[in-house]
Order: sequence, then structure tokens, then C-alpha cells
Amino acid sequence: MTEAAHSAGEIAVAAPVRRRRQGMLAYLARRSPLALLLVTLFLFAAVFGPLISPHSMTETDLSLANLPPNGSYWLGTDALGRDVLSRILGSAGVAAQAMLIVVLIGGILGASLGLVAGGLGGITDLIVSRVTEILQGFPTVLIAIVIVALLTPSLTNAMVAVGLAAVPDFARIARSVAIQLRDREFIQAARGLGAGELRILVTETLPNMIGPLIIIASFDGAQAIMWEAALSFLGLGVQPPAPSFGSMLRDAQNYLNINPWLAVTVGVAVSAIILGLNLLGDALSDYYEMTER
Amino acid sequence: MAGYIFGRVIGGFITLLCVSALAFFATALAPGNPAAVLLGNMATPERVEAVNRLMGLDQPLPVRYGIWLREVLAGNLGNSNLSFRPVLGLIGAALPATLELAALSLLVAVVVSIPLGLLMAHKQASWWMRPLSGFVTLGISVPGFWVGLLLIVIFSVWLHILPSGGFVPANRNLGQNLRSLVLPTLTLAIYLTPSLVRFVRVAAASVLREDYVDTARAKGAGIGRIMFRHVAPNTLISTITYIGLQLGLLISGAIIVEVIFAIPGIGRLGMSAVLNRDYPVIQGVVLVAATGYVVVNLLVDLAYSLIDPRVRVR
Repeated sequence: MTEAAHSAGEIAVAAPVRRRRQGMLAYLARRSPLALLLVTLFLFAAVFGPLISPHSMTETDLSLANLPPNGSYWLGTDALGRDVLSRILGSAGVAAQAMLIVVLIGGILGASLGLVAGGLGGITDLIVSRVTEILQGFPTVLIAIVIVALLTPSLTNAMVAVGLAAVPDFARIARSVAIQLRDREFIQAARGLGAGELRILVTETLPNMIGPLIIIASFDGAQAIMWEAALSFLGLGVQPPAPSFGSMLRDAQNYLNINPWLAVTVGVAVSAIILGLNLLGDALSDYYEMTER
Repeated sequence: MAGYIFGRVIGGFITLLCVSALAFFATALAPGNPAAVLLGNMATPERVEAVNRLMGLDQPLPVRYGIWLREVLAGNLGNSNLSFRPVLGLIGAALPATLELAALSLLVAVVVSIPLGLLMAHKQASWWMRPLSGFVTLGISVPGFWVGLLLIVIFSVWLHILPSGGFVPANRNLGQNLRSLVLPTLTLAIYLTPSLVRFVRVAAASVLREDYVDTARAKGAGIGRIMFRHVAPNTLISTITYIGLQLGLLISGAIIVEVIFAIPGIGRLGMSAVLNRDYPVIQGVVLVAATGYVVVNLLVDLAYSLIDPRVRVR
């Protein structure tokens, strides 16, 4: 997840996070309406996709194969005559799952590692830093290949690989916030009141790094969706006939000369979602008053 | 200096050990008994056990890892379960295509990104900066392999000027070879460029705020001299490290691009091995790719400390 790592690297953390008076949603709506629109559409499609999809996601009808966009199939059909719009709505749900798995694995593992490393320092910090340094930027596809070779190709297995690759991003940001907070007055006060180091980390330090973690989650969520598409495209992720952006693009590649529409519509949809999350990450960085170095 | 290099080399060595363990256990723990596979329909429990003993599969895992590591160091990566050819030979045959693709793509990405990033850092207040940086964000958000599919639609399906696949090895016909690599290289370069541009822009912008740039300006240096004499060299140093970190992305990207354009490189070898459960080949590909990643990053670290003495005292 080097790209997101790079975004994280650009952020100089201002800790503890001082909130603006304005509410977050109001700020986002003013700062980056496009991000809010795209992400809202994505989440809506992910949750309500199966309810609002005009046709079946998996029902095939070869007499309707490879239709361009038209009145009853707004985005056309694929090589097996399945409705592309319905399958894109289904893919949004898969993408949301991918994002959730990656952010949960990366966030929980990474934040705890970073919190402990930055908060306790010393040998713990050294070990955690070295391990994350090694993981940092390690080719995600290789991790996915190893995991899929051990288990089977599936969305969860592919996303576990991406989640592991995301751990350093979260760990790094959590560590740097924890280090900055280590000797602040309120932490020392808690220490003076007799709170143990672990308790301080959980009750004092952790709440102050929620903002930075949300920002990383937004960038890594975008990366998760990109990797879901890439790994499913390679056949390591979601398996047919289930829809996913990657598996649809895999189908699309076989029919590029008869039905280029399929590649175009699916690619635009997945790019729009990723763009929305990246813009959201940028806007959240501003909201939490993080400035680019 | 010697201490720094020693520390880095030891670190790289430990990483390589971890990577080799990863490659070994990924296949040793995989379902399916190699002895049973080897015996096929001649397998009986007694025979499987005999072959297990013969192949050393009855030994505990750490012992097997040790034996495997010794074989690897001697250059023996085993044979493919499918073609029965030596894995090392398969990888050796696939590596040139991958290295050529990766090198060309990286070259294109660097040649485009560095000037563009410097320009964007210099012209931060211009009216065309907003659309341009919007374009960079868009570039980061577009899946690289999708760009590859679009390039095929445009240049192969519509314009019929470039092939959508069919790699020609460089030693057979260099012209045809380069022609067959135009779209793959473009795809991988477009994938790498936006984040590199963004990095160079941020790095150069921070160099532009340094005191020595003000000093140069006060001494009457023109913008050309400031950018090329002061900003570019100081930006390049951190950019080299960044490219080292991007190497993982380059490897991942090369694997995907090889699959799209049917380039017989190491990525395609690995992918077909995964889908066919050809474990020795998976093991070899993961080992070689990961070793390449670790070694190049180590070299980047060392080069970095040679170029910029500030690193060592950090």
C-alpha cells in the first residue's frame, strides 16, 4: 500500500487534534462536495444495491449478450447477457466489504502496534518499527499470492493480504501521534494520578488519534477497492459468477473488440468510488488541520 | 559509515530469511500431499509413507526448512509439478521480459514525473495548478490495469497501430520487441507516475522553503539556476528513496500488466502457478521477487547514504 503510505508520509501530524467549530459534514460539504457526493452514492449503492438493481446480477440470457447501453439496460449487458448496471451495484457492495476488511485488519493491528510502539518506546518501539519497515511497501500481489496459495481464492483471503499490507500505514501514524503525546501535560497528569502506561494509552492517547486514523482509513479504503479490483481481475479474489469490479473487468478484457462499453462503464464506476475516497481523505486531512509538509 | 552499512546489510539479511521462510511455509503448509500427487493413481498409504520418508517429508517442519534453504542456496529450487522442468530454469527464462518491462516503465515514469513535479512546485500559484493537481489525484484514483484495457481499446481495437499482446523477445527482434512493449510500458508508467509527481512536488516545495534557496535568490541566482543547482539535487535524494519504496508497487504492477498483455514474464509465471497450484513454481517466484525487492531497497539505502552524508548521523 505504498500509495496510501505516501499520502500518510506527507502528513505532518498536529497533535492533539483540535477540532474546528464547524461540524465535520458541514465542512466536508463546503470543502469537497464532490467527495461527499461520490462517497454517499457509493455507500448507498453498497447498502441498497440489491434492492434497487433493475435486473438480476447473475441471471444469464445469451440472446441479450454484449448490448451497448440502451433504454432497458442503461449500461448495456455483458457477454452472458447480464445487466451491467445491476452488476455494478452488486460490485459496490463487494467493494464496501473489501474496504471494511482492510480497514479493520490494518486499523486494529496497525493502530495497536503503533500505539504500543510510540507510547512505550524503547525496545518495543525498535522491534515494531523494524517489522513495519519491512512490511512497508512489500509487493501486495506477492502477499496475496502466498495467502491464496495457502488457502483458496476468495474476497476475504485477498483482502486479508491487502489488510496486512495496510498495517504499516496505520502503525506509522499511530506511533508518531503517540510519541508526540507521550510527554504532554494531560498524559503526565494521568501518570501522576497513578494510571498505568497501558491504561494511559487506551484512555488518553487513543482518543486523540482518531482523526489521523480516520484519514488513513479513507486513503487505505480507496486502496482496498483498487486492490480488490486488481486481485479479482487476476483471479485471486472474487470468483465468478459473483459480480465484482475486478471480475467484471476480467470478463471485459475478453470482449474488448466486440463490447468496449463494458470495460469503460465498469472502470469509470470503480474509479469514481476510489476518487471519492481519496478526495475525502484530502478533505479530512484539512479538517483535522493536518498540513502537507 | 562501516557500522551503518553493516547494520543495513544485517537487516537485509534478516528480512531475506523471513521472506524465505514465508515462501517455504506458504507451500509446505498448503493442502495436498506432494507424495500422493507424485504417485498419482499408484498411491497406497504404504507407498505414500515410503515416498514421504524418501523426500524427507516426515521430518519436522523446521528441519525441512533447513534442508530446503540449503538446496536453495545451492541453486536448486526444485521442479515444476506441471512441466517437471527445473523452477530455476523457468524463472531464468521469464526474468528478462519482466526486467525489461519494469526498467522501461520506471524510466518513462521518472523522466515524466521529475520535471513535472519540479514545475508544479515552482508554479504553485498559477491558474492551471488546480486542474493539474486535480488531474494527478484522478490519476492516483484510476486502477492501473483499467488504463491498460483502455489503451488496448484505443490503440489496438480502434486505431490498429499497436499490438494488444504477443510479446517478442529482445534477442529475436529488437524493433518488434519494443513495439510489443509500448502499451505495457505505457500502462505501468501511467500507474507509477501520478504518485511520483505528487511526491516530487511536495519534496521540491519543501526544498524551495529552505534558507539556502533564499540565499541563492539573494545572491541574484535566476530561477533556472535555483531549480537545477539547488532544488533538483536535493529533491532527487529523497525521490530515490521514494522510488525504492515504490518498488513493491512496480513489482505488483508488472505482474498485472504481464497478465493483461500476455507477456511471458515472472509475474505471469507466478499467476498461472497459483491458479494451477504448482507449488514449487509459486515458491520460486515469491522467493525471487521478494529477494529482488529486499536487495534493491538495500542498495537504495546504501546509495542514499553515499549521496547524502546527513542520513548516516540520523
